[in-house]
Amino acid sequence: MGFWLELAASGLITGGIYALVALGLNLQYGLMRIMNISHGEFLMLGAYLTWLAHTVFGINPIAFLPVVAIALFLTGLLVYRLCFRRITRTSPSVEIIEARSLLIGFGLMYLVQNAVYLTWGADLRGYSFLADAVEIGGARFAANSLLAFGFAVTASLAMLAVLRWTMLGKAVRAMMQSPIGAQLVGIDTAFLHPAVFGAGIALAGVAGALLSMVYEITPGMGEPYTVTALIVITLGGLGSAAGCLAGGLLLGLVEAFGMHFTSPSLKMLLSYAVFIGVLLARPKGLFAR
Amino acid sequence: MLSRIVTKLIAGSLLAAVLAPAFAQDAPVRIGYAIARTGPWAGGAQISQEPNFIMWAEQVNAAGGLNVKGKKRKVELVGFDDRSEAETVVRTYEKLMGSDKVDLILPPWGTGANFAVMPVIQKFGYPMIAPTATGRKLLQMKNPYFFAILQQPDVMMNALAEFLKARNTKTAAVIHVDELFGLENLTALETAFKEKGIQIVEKKSYPLGVKDLKPVLNDIKAKNPDAFVALSYPPDTFLVTAQAREIAFNPKAFYSAVGTAFPVYRDKMGPAAEGVMGFGTLNPKTSAAVKAYFDAHKARHKKEPDRWASAHAWAGLQIMQQAVAKAGLDRKALRDAIASGEFDTVIGKVRFKNGENVSTPGVVSQWQSGEFEVVWPPDRATAPALFPKPNWK
Repeated sequence: MGFWLELAASGLITGGIYALVALGLNLQYGLMRIMNISHGEFLMLGAYLTWLAHTVFGINPIAFLPVVAIALFLTGLLVYRLCFRRITRTSPSVEIIEARSLLIGFGLMYLVQNAVYLTWGADLRGYSFLADAVEIGGARFAANSLLAFGFAVTASLAMLAVLRWTMLGKAVRAMMQSPIGAQLVGIDTAFLHPAVFGAGIALAGVAGALLSMVYEITPGMGEPYTVTALIVITLGGLGSAAGCLAGGLLLGLVEAFGMHFTSPSLKMLLSYAVFIGVLLARPKGLFAR
Repeated sequence: MLSRIVTKLIAGSLLAAVLAPAFAQDAPVRIGYAIARTGPWAGGAQISQEPNFIMWAEQVNAAGGLNVKGKKRKVELVGFDDRSEAETVVRTYEKLMGSDKVDLILPPWGTGANFAVMPVIQKFGYPMIAPTATGRKLLQMKNPYFFAILQQPDVMMNALAEFLKARNTKTAAVIHVDELFGLENLTALETAFKEKGIQIVEKKSYPLGVKDLKPVLNDIKAKNPDAFVALSYPPDTFLVTAQAREIAFNPKAFYSAVGTAFPVYRDKMGPAAEGVMGFGTLNPKTSAAVKAYFDAHKARHKKEPDRWASAHAWAGLQIMQQAVAKAGLDRKALRDAIASGEFDTVIGKVRFKNGENVSTPGVVSQWQSGEFEVVWPPDRATAPALFPKPNWK
């Protein structure tokens, strides 16, 4: 019995990491239809900032999390101002926002990635932090993965609560449904739109900071995470905070059990089988309304 | 009038005569290559390979140039980013050899890229000494221009099997990455372990870029093998170490492949690296020449080379340099010089037979207090092995 619990827990933790990676993109694409394909690059930036702060200045990576969040939030505002403000204003429909933002995202991806290559080179980087195992009910987990998992769950629940029960959340949802209507009822979309985008980038950065404790980092690390994030948010239902968490955890569980019963080499096959299965049954994702 | 023209002509030809040798001396030896500066291969390429090219060219030029049959000529590197794409590798080498007509080429990074470019180097007849290509499949192509200077899978796996046999190891579990590298080494390992009577109790493959291997490691832990071997690539090498430690899976021998010899492995794993074994060839304690190489690398690039393929890359450049001194830039003659000669290099004497370095033996190395000590074979060992492996720290 203990073995199965451990297997499930291991899957849940990996799933938590998947959900964590998807949080920021869920805000941007799920809620705003800005298809930011450079999501993983901002995650990578967060990871590099944390690595730099820890290895060069000796700063505790957890204490540094708020700095990463603020720095990337401001970066997000800047990126929005430079790249996305125009298209959200001039595009006649959300489909066109999606298509245009996709192109911009590609450009950003190359820009950010190559800037990091130029600055820090292509070397693998890493540091050891909270790598010790914590024993919970006989099973052992690395403290840094638990931290990432904890953050993913907390942030997802917080986002769920904000969107569902606060005025701010209502305003954000209203803005997504009808930007003009939202303006008519007095919602400051000129402020809210960039702020939500910035929050998405900030979440990507924090995810990167947490991941840099678990995995080693390279300038090219972001792309696979963008793919993971896209799968998770589509699986869960675009814009749904609960769906994002559930989608991530489901993928993690499928992989853990799949690996035990078959081979890790079939991991992709299993994940995509679940993905396709869910989309066949519920084309808009698990938690779409 | 006529005399003036004649004077001018004479003066002109004199000037030309004076300038000509200067120009000839100035024409640099152009050396082309494609290597990963971006993309998934870049991590390995920028640790083990390109830093050596750059440092070598600088050292050669600082010493007055490359000795081409007694005449010193500066070298000029013509390097391109291959973006970690096999097609770009092939296209770039075709351009370098076909239209740019560089004088020499240096190899790309990794087994796959070298495999892809082999037919092209044969077509254009450029010798290439590859420090990051392993696999019988490459050597079986019998390409006369291809020289593999890194130890091949069977050589490395035999060394590991001998090391384990000498310590009375009975059982082993293996995981391997689903790539040519993992498959070649798995075949070699199975043959070597069978010969030495080591039973393989579990064998699993996994895809590159996997983010979690705990379920597999838990299964293996339950089988309690004496030795654990991960035929892994850099990201997974880090992952299996961290996760084995996490679940307190501590076999008597813990061995992982590519990446274990990287300095960043020690930095990322910290004290957990203690006792982990892996692919390696040498370390600064091996000889004064190696120490000098490490010091120069650190001074130039502000980072250490790795303790496996880096020195092989450097040795490949040393061989090229010695062969050019002897045979010049005629590529057929150069190939014959490489194929038939014996060379003094940072990794010791090197001689090729059928394109394979037959002088460097298989080596097992182990992290001990921040150094990747050579622990097998005994005549190359820089420290006694820690066996069984101490508990994870």
